[in-house]
Amino acid sequence: MDGVKRTDGWLALREYAAIGDGRTVALVGSDGAIDWLCLPDIDSPSVFARVLDRDRGGAFRLAPTDAHGVERRYLPDTNVLETTYTTAGGVARVTDAITLPLPGLAPTRELVRRIDGLSGSVDFAWSIEPRFAYGERPRIERRGSIAFASARGDAIAVAAWDADVVQCGGGEISGSFAVEAGRTATIALAHAHEEPVVVPARTDVDRRLDETMRFWREWARGRSYDGPWREHVIRSALALKLLVFAPTGAIAAAATTSLPERLGGDKNYDYRYSWIRDAAFTMNAFVELGCSREADAFLSWLMHASQLTHPELRVLYQLNGREEAAERELPLEGYRSSAPVRVGNGAAGQLQLDAYGDLLDAAWIYAADGLDAEIGARLAGIADFVCETWSSEDSGIWEIRGETRHFTEGKMKCAIALERACSLAERGLVPDEHRTRWQSEAEKVREFVETRCWSEPRRAYTRSADADDLDASVLLAGQNRYSAERDERLSATIDVIRRELGAGAFVYRYSGAEAEEGAFVACSFWMVSALARAGRVDEASELMEEMLAAGNDVGLFAEQIDPASGEFLGNFPQGLSHLALVNAAFAIEEARR
Amino acid sequence: MSAWAALAGGFVGTVVLTSTMRAATALQLTRMDLPFLLGTAFTTDRRKAKVVGYVLHFSFGLAFSLIYWTVFAAIDHAGFILGGLFGVAHALFAGTALVGILLPAVHPRMAHDLTAAQSTPLLETPGFMLLNYGRQTPVVAVAAHIVYGAIVGGFVALAA
Repeated sequence: MDGVKRTDGWLALREYAAIGDGRTVALVGSDGAIDWLCLPDIDSPSVFARVLDRDRGGAFRLAPTDAHGVERRYLPDTNVLETTYTTAGGVARVTDAITLPLPGLAPTRELVRRIDGLSGSVDFAWSIEPRFAYGERPRIERRGSIAFASARGDAIAVAAWDADVVQCGGGEISGSFAVEAGRTATIALAHAHEEPVVVPARTDVDRRLDETMRFWREWARGRSYDGPWREHVIRSALALKLLVFAPTGAIAAAATTSLPERLGGDKNYDYRYSWIRDAAFTMNAFVELGCSREADAFLSWLMHASQLTHPELRVLYQLNGREEAAERELPLEGYRSSAPVRVGNGAAGQLQLDAYGDLLDAAWIYAADGLDAEIGARLAGIADFVCETWSSEDSGIWEIRGETRHFTEGKMKCAIALERACSLAERGLVPDEHRTRWQSEAEKVREFVETRCWSEPRRAYTRSADADDLDASVLLAGQNRYSAERDERLSATIDVIRRELGAGAFVYRYSGAEAEEGAFVACSFWMVSALARAGRVDEASELMEEMLAAGNDVGLFAEQIDPASGEFLGNFPQGLSHLALVNAAFAIEEARR
Repeated sequence: MSAWAALAGGFVGTVVLTSTMRAATALQLTRMDLPFLLGTAFTTDRRKAKVVGYVLHFSFGLAFSLIYWTVFAAIDHAGFILGGLFGVAHALFAGTALVGILLPAVHPRMAHDLTAAQSTPLLETPGFMLLNYGRQTPVVAVAAHIVYGAIVGGFVALAA
């Protein structure tokens, strides 16, 4: 029993699990350390960021002091994590959650770690090194039995019950205790932002923890999916729910910033924003999963966020709908020395044509039950804008910095945008004055794609017009129905992409990406969807099984995976990866019907 | 001297004081939130607490303006500067005795320095000169009360 090993202080990214409350997300390592937590919200500065800096980042450690074995899982159908430690002296179980608020006075955010003794006796040690604002040491003091740490507008209070007397010193709050069979210890971390801290009481902590488990179970059991791989689909739905920012309905692309796409590399970006690009995937997943409230909130957020820039779309928006995303670098070492660590995202101001198709497609999926007239008018304006803009070069779905092209996937999405607008107009949901123009422009876009983005020698859609290189994003032509089912060109493209961008079950984003980064998880699931829609269901199912096995022990995915080592790369947990997983399962289920 | 002028000054002064304290909170100079502290003495609902707290805070602002007026009348002198000096005394009283000691003593959900986590949620104590809510809190509180006092004193002097 030697527990979980860190390499030079770093834990492999696949060793993390995520817990959250719809406002923020914490990453819990399999060694019991919480190495990432931003407060009060997912896009706020960090309190724990050891995943980005071993010394300055801060963490909440909790583990047995003796040699131990570790098993962990999510409690079924919840976002509550359960880790079981076995030592020579006994067995103990740690339950980790960010609790949901109940009526009554409660902390603004509350992280709870409950330790139950199952057999024998297990000695634990714990320490909290809070580092507000990405590494700032707070003032730490003890008042009675409660420890407080504060810096500027933020403070945390740490209450521990049967977890030994809290000790404060050296920039940390710590304690140690033994838990015996049948006994329970609890540590609660309460946060306050711009107000006094509400210190939790033990009975209320227990009640909130129980209610949090109940909420997650009820939410998961309310999902309508009964197809294949239900366990993985529901886990992905729960992961996505963690990324939904409850106050607005926006979905964060991931819970972290600057986890590297290549170890030691500089492709480290802040994903705590909501991308228009993910809109159609999100809406499709929400509708198929029976998440009508989340779908309502998401469309409402989409239209709210894009209102000020109408008819143009920003690539990404803050979770509260604001458009500012100024990028800056932080003085943190970066995961395994992968610098720089960035907050903000410089891609926000790019032109990405695919975003327009995604927005119209999302609205089209949502509009099965009708559409608000004001939203319809806005969509018409966006379709008009696409008519003016589709012939421009853009930065593409992958947000290539400093390079614009006529990216194929963007052009396909422009055709989708205009065709969805026509469809909505036919149903009377969008003003139809310009429908003829939209139809005419859509045909021109399709002609452009089919003549300049199709390579007859390669028998594939290429990455961009008049180019030879490949891009896995064109696989979306099946999912978004640019291509008809069993379309020959798409089927041929699938084969070429598998051959040239594939690495086992994995798929790289574009030609040459293997030298820059890992394989892109979403692209691999897009391949599954594309195979299913091409009628190659057995191939799709086989690939799906391989991909699901590549997730970590609790069913989560990062943005990328190193095909050679299986190591996770990029931000985590990644919404797009889980959206692609869910949509791949839907595609196979649909193809099997 | 006009008590009505004092009340008008108290109202305007409380608006400015509240806005100043809120701005200081937004600028992360302090976590002091008086309406939240006052309101949670009566309800555990955060939203209702803020509403109740603002009503109470404005009531206290008016009440204190009458106390200022009483002293102005007793010494037969009022003005911006004198009001500002009263504001300093007011802030020191609030930071030490009123909020620092009296409020924790009567607030049903606020901890004393020596109490442990009990069966009801406990609000963080303000501490001496409200320092528990951030090191800049005394500076912000004194500055805001100087402005409050100056406005009350000014209104009374102008109406005299």
